[in-house]
Amino acid sequence: MPELIIPLILLPLGILAVLALRQARLTNPQAGWLFAVFPFTAFISLLYSASHMGEKGLTFSVPWIPALGLNFSLYLDGLSALFALLITGIGTLVVIYTGYYFDHGDHDHAEHPAIEYRFFAYTLLFMLAMLGLVLAGDLITLFLFWEGTSISSFLLIAYKFKDEAARKGAFKSLFITGGGGIAMLAGFVFIMSISGSADFKTVLASGDLLRNSPLYPVLFTLVVMGAFTKSAQFPAHIWLPEAMSAPTPASAFLHSATMVKAGIYLLARLNPAIGGTDLWFWVLSIFGITTMLVGAYLGFKQNDLKPLLAYSTVSQLGVLIALIGQDTEIAFKALVISILAHALYKSALFMSAGIIDHETGTRDIRKLGGLRKQMPIMFGIVSIAALSMAGLPPLFGFLAKETLLASATHPSLPAAIEFLFPLTTVLAGAFILAQAALLVRGVFLGKPADEKHPPHGHDPKIGFWLAPAIPAVLSLLIGITPVEPAFLVDFLAAAAKAAYGAKVKISLALWTGINVPLILSIIAITLGSLVFWQRGRIRAWMMNFLPNFTVNMLFNGTISGLDSLAATATKLQGGQMRFYLRVMIVSMIAIVVLFSRISLEMFTQNLTLGIEGFNGLRAFSLLMVVAAGLASVIIRRDLHAVIALGVSGLGVAVWMALDPSPDVALVQIVVDILSTVILILSLNILPRKQRDKANEILHSRKSMRRDVVIAGLAGLVMAAITFTALTTRPRESVVSPFYADNAKPLTGAKDIVGAIVVDFRAADTMIEIMVFAMAGLGIYTVLHFASRKEGEHSHIEKSKLNPPHTPLGIHGLPTSPLLHLLAYATLPLSLMLATTHMMYGHDMPGDGFTAGVIISLGIAMWYIIFGYEEVRRKLPWLNRNTLIAIGLLLSLLNAVGGMVFGGGFAAPVDYGAMLNLPLPTGFAITNSFLFEVAIALTVTGAATLILDNLGHPRDHHEEDAQPVSLKEQA
Amino acid sequence: MSLLTSLAVGILFAAGIYQILRRNVIRAAIGLVLLSNAVNLFLFSAGAYNGAAAAYSTATSQISDPLPQALVLTAIVISMGGFAFVLSLLYVISTRYKTSDSDEVKGLKN
Repeated sequence: MPELIIPLILLPLGILAVLALRQARLTNPQAGWLFAVFPFTAFISLLYSASHMGEKGLTFSVPWIPALGLNFSLYLDGLSALFALLITGIGTLVVIYTGYYFDHGDHDHAEHPAIEYRFFAYTLLFMLAMLGLVLAGDLITLFLFWEGTSISSFLLIAYKFKDEAARKGAFKSLFITGGGGIAMLAGFVFIMSISGSADFKTVLASGDLLRNSPLYPVLFTLVVMGAFTKSAQFPAHIWLPEAMSAPTPASAFLHSATMVKAGIYLLARLNPAIGGTDLWFWVLSIFGITTMLVGAYLGFKQNDLKPLLAYSTVSQLGVLIALIGQDTEIAFKALVISILAHALYKSALFMSAGIIDHETGTRDIRKLGGLRKQMPIMFGIVSIAALSMAGLPPLFGFLAKETLLASATHPSLPAAIEFLFPLTTVLAGAFILAQAALLVRGVFLGKPADEKHPPHGHDPKIGFWLAPAIPAVLSLLIGITPVEPAFLVDFLAAAAKAAYGAKVKISLALWTGINVPLILSIIAITLGSLVFWQRGRIRAWMMNFLPNFTVNMLFNGTISGLDSLAATATKLQGGQMRFYLRVMIVSMIAIVVLFSRISLEMFTQNLTLGIEGFNGLRAFSLLMVVAAGLASVIIRRDLHAVIALGVSGLGVAVWMALDPSPDVALVQIVVDILSTVILILSLNILPRKQRDKANEILHSRKSMRRDVVIAGLAGLVMAAITFTALTTRPRESVVSPFYADNAKPLTGAKDIVGAIVVDFRAADTMIEIMVFAMAGLGIYTVLHFASRKEGEHSHIEKSKLNPPHTPLGIHGLPTSPLLHLLAYATLPLSLMLATTHMMYGHDMPGDGFTAGVIISLGIAMWYIIFGYEEVRRKLPWLNRNTLIAIGLLLSLLNAVGGMVFGGGFAAPVDYGAMLNLPLPTGFAITNSFLFEVAIALTVTGAATLILDNLGHPRDHHEEDAQPVSLKEQA
Repeated sequence: MSLLTSLAVGILFAAGIYQILRRNVIRAAIGLVLLSNAVNLFLFSAGAYNGAAAAYSTATSQISDPLPQALVLTAIVISMGGFAFVLSLLYVISTRYKTSDSDEVKGLKN
């Protein structure tokens, strides 16, 4: 059903609207009303979907990674509808409320402050994640959105990021919920592998399979860790009170009504699949009851309204977890009623706390008091919500508590907790009632607690108080309505049925006669009143009695332990690059030796295969490669070593040519020469004194011996890998025959390698030339900016001011006229050669790379012979950046041309034939040809840029070093 | 022939590793080129089949495997770009730290 996706599309649109309007002349309240349209529309659309979902629910699914059997799917049934409507409904109110919360009445001034667009955007982002979480139709989709709520919650808690408490609270919440999320993902993987699918329909249907699996305790523990951390169960509850550093709208929304219920939702959702076992019952009951007591106890100690409410939320979450643990109808009736009741009164109370803070400037009950006359409307709203929280009739909260008590006294409970469960419920209920009373009394009744500084405040604008008023009034209406609203009953019944797995009867009647729950309720109310009456003594006693060890200490200890571990680990890193390299290389050798299956046997078995096919010429080329390579190691003088290196590279080219593969051999030759040239040029930029000082022989022979061993081992491993690969490789290729057969018919190229590079893998090549261009630009940037000290002008800029016109080579050494002549002849020749490469590269050896490098080599010769300034003067057309830009642009346009004329990105098009141009045989203006031109231009530009920058004479080196390379040569 | 090829790759690789472990940064740069040559040699020889003719559609005898050739062609050009960039970093080291000795480059100065 596609309508399911609508709410998930609306919210991103809302985020876009927020970002688009962030500079608009809106006040925060106006913005709040405006942006509330998005969640409200989502609410309406969900209401529509929920009324049409029927017994089976709605599903929506699109393939995501079909190869892994993963879908992006959504699922709406009673349970998800309950949560989704709460999220969008309360979300709408919260967005409106947010506008007023950030309104400080200063928008009449000429200077218009920007709206708090970040907050609106984060809130909508969170709403999107939360809605996706409850609508998710499979485990992986759920996980994605689950992590989304953790991240958006982090952003909201750290909203006032300049405040250290906010940052710490945000970190703690992300650390705990994120860690739980990872455990949960692992649990999901187990569920998926046992049930064979990530889809909820399959998972929920394979309950017996999952429960009987030997891995059940593992997957149960992992999933429960995710749920418990998210829903702030003891001992992971510590993040919730600290999350109160978030602006109040976020606390009202995330940390009371929605996000903390994600764990509840998850367990309720999975109850038919993995619930109902003894393990499930005991773990959920024990943690739930503990959390309920801890929350009720700690909340009563608080003076700040928000932590007080946060702890009562913790307590309530414990109740919900304990309810899911039970396998009775009444427990699930209690569950859905409690979820709704709690969401209504707690969001109202949180928003009211924000209003009180906004109007009076404090949330501390030690500074408040006696505000009932100044803020009559708020007094009303808070009283209603607090009565519901306390579980007093005739409010909805009373009903929630009655069903809870009925469930706690259900005869099916095991004897061990037959008394414990009702007892703790009554005790927690008493404390929650006392907390509610404390709240109303502390803020509105009596006299101001601090007589010298009585709080000032008045009722806010209607829009501001409307947001908490609506849920508060709803808690009253649902309680007192004489006729049970049928749609609400059906709706809650559907939600409970989805979680319980069987039909649940729901009634919303307050009066059910005198029975055990009612009596317990009366006991709880009496006890709660006593606690409230004696609050001074009890609170003082609580403050002094065992308040000092908290779970937070454990958490902080762990974190600081990790920090010091990290500090120790960092000390191991001395900053010596060679040490790191040695560690990496040795570890790689160790990994290969330990874990690969390469063995001596494989070597002896395949020895004959390794010897056959001997070819004298190839052996000679390999000898050339190896001998020159080793020479470059042994030779002491850097310049000579570089030349040996060049010879070794040419040996590689010879070997390639013998393969035979002329294209690659050509590229290898020109690239090798160019690399040698730029290496020689850069010898010039590293003063010889420096290099000589760095020579090992002056320092230690020990490290050289050690490195010989390391290098020898690495070479041995590499040789073994190569030998194994070459002797055991499959002799059939799947891909290559396709290229070989299709090169000519599809691209018109005779050269298969060329066709692969510029046609079949054109996008790859395009990215490649971009990388090459980026290297050139990177070098330019590094040399112009990174290397110069602060305040110092780039050496190139400096020399531009004063270009010397001398027909001299690098460092002003005079060059012979014969060389000049050679250079004059070479450049046009290289241009011509390059052009033929581009024109005929499709059918013959050579391509755009070769062409580009050939031109660059011609230019390199000019640099060496005429010197930097002279080349710039003589070749004004050689604008490197323009060449790169034109090359890249042409390659893009060309690929788009393929799209327009050839039916696909970079598809082959023969423009010459299209325009009936008279062209010589063997040459066609195809887009492959244009691509070759583009490649050549880019490569020329980038290579010249490299030469230019590495080959530029540097003034400041002349002080401490003689020009090196040419002197060495001479 | 595979035996010889593997030996050559191994020796070249060892030479490269030894060079990048030298204190002189220009030697490390040389080592980088040796390493990329060794790897290109390996990749190039890892084609599925050897042939007697170059990979052209007009060839009459068995052609050599074109796929590794095309990939190595790309690799050669890219490694040259990366190599040139490394050289520019060497220049930065030389001017900022007044040394070409990688052991003397410790921490981030300036």
